[in-house]
Amino acid sequence: MASSVETAIRAFIVENFLFGDESYKLTGETSLIDNDLIDSTGILELVTFLEERFSIRIADADIVPANLDSIARIDAFVNAKLGESAAA
Amino acid sequence: MSEIRPFAAADIPKVADMFQRILRKTDRPATPSLKAYLGELFLDPPDFDPDIVSLVHVRADGSVSGFLGALPMPMELNGMRLRAAVCGTMMVDGHAEDPFAGARLLRAFLAGPQDLSLTETANDVSTAMWRKMRATVLPDYSLEWLRVIRPAGFAAALAASRFGAAAMLAPLARPLDAFLHRQGKGTEPQWSHVAPENQNGAFSDTEADAERLLELFPALTANFPMRPQWQAETLRARIAHATRKANYGDGIRRVVSTRDGRAIGLFIYYGNKGGIGRVVQILAAPGQEGAVIDRMIDHAARRGLVALRGRVQPALLDAMMGRRIGFLHASSSIVHTRDPALIDLFRSGKAFFNGFAGESWARLIGDRFD
Repeated sequence: MASSVETAIRAFIVENFLFGDESYKLTGETSLIDNDLIDSTGILELVTFLEERFSIRIADADIVPANLDSIARIDAFVNAKLGESAAA
Repeated sequence: MSEIRPFAAADIPKVADMFQRILRKTDRPATPSLKAYLGELFLDPPDFDPDIVSLVHVRADGSVSGFLGALPMPMELNGMRLRAAVCGTMMVDGHAEDPFAGARLLRAFLAGPQDLSLTETANDVSTAMWRKMRATVLPDYSLEWLRVIRPAGFAAALAASRFGAAAMLAPLARPLDAFLHRQGKGTEPQWSHVAPENQNGAFSDTEADAERLLELFPALTANFPMRPQWQAETLRARIAHATRKANYGDGIRRVVSTRDGRAIGLFIYYGNKGGIGRVVQILAAPGQEGAVIDRMIDHAARRGLVALRGRVQPALLDAMMGRRIGFLHASSSIVHTRDPALIDLFRSGKAFFNGFAGESWARLIGDRFD
């Protein structure tokens, strides 16, 4: 079952990068880069969304495909950040 | 892991190579002159600020794959000093391998200590990125103006810029323009006209050396609530950088004065006979904008230029109406700041920005490095 974090991320991507097209087969592992869903402009939009929606601080070094190239990766990255915040 | 770090001297060869391939779109290797200039401009800029630095994107293997040139520019607002940084050259090599490199460079730049982040040369992609960072695009500063002086010659010059062989049309254009000029005499203001008050000799223009410009820049921008905090040494350096723009033609620097010798404005443009001149700066005392523009058009007409083009400043827009000047959009001027009150000054045209208060003075725009 999808977490609330994953649901929010998916909704954002569908709304902003797929323009509301819910018929697109967007799995948790779908690469946003390889499928041309996100570019330099889109990543700035996504990072701003994540920072504001989850009240996390994303460092410049965090903005890499390993953290942000799919819903699953973003979900894991955000949860790790939230974990850091809770532990602090 | 890839990283963003300050630009260093060791990065110059790679950055120069990217500049040639990505921005100049040529396979020719970067010359020692270009490399030296990149170092001079971005490691020791006229208003050096140790906290406002140019940035590079470095891949995990240590190779440089992106560059953002930052030019510090102290500004002032009602006596208060503001730190501004102009984002000049921005380029990424191998975008497919580093799809987020440009975003990271811009984000790192905007996170700097400056009160204002500015650019005047943002292309469509860069503009979209700045917008996503909640920056404000400034329409009144983003327009290019164009004044055709010799219509046939302008068409020939435009064609020649796309297709070299079309340069052969230029000799045919001259008699046609001469005919059009004769036809228009005695009628409404036409191409290459000079306003009646200028024809009466109320104003004249004379060559300006660097020292004269140094004196006039602060005086003629004093009426802008927000303006660069001109320092003699750094302004002198900007003037020196702007001396040469070989791709545009000969540099012209003129002061416009009244009959009694009072300076009311100045203009700086580059261009040769038969070509389209590029105006980098127009300054005018309040209310004298039209006279300065007229003197400039007249000067270019007498030198045989077929058109003039330049970047709009809101303070000049009103005077440009009725002078047969057209407008188009080529690149965007953008401001990013955390203080909304500062944005309002740009929106209302009360900030002096573009030209010498931007990056157009630098040789990277319009010069050759042979």
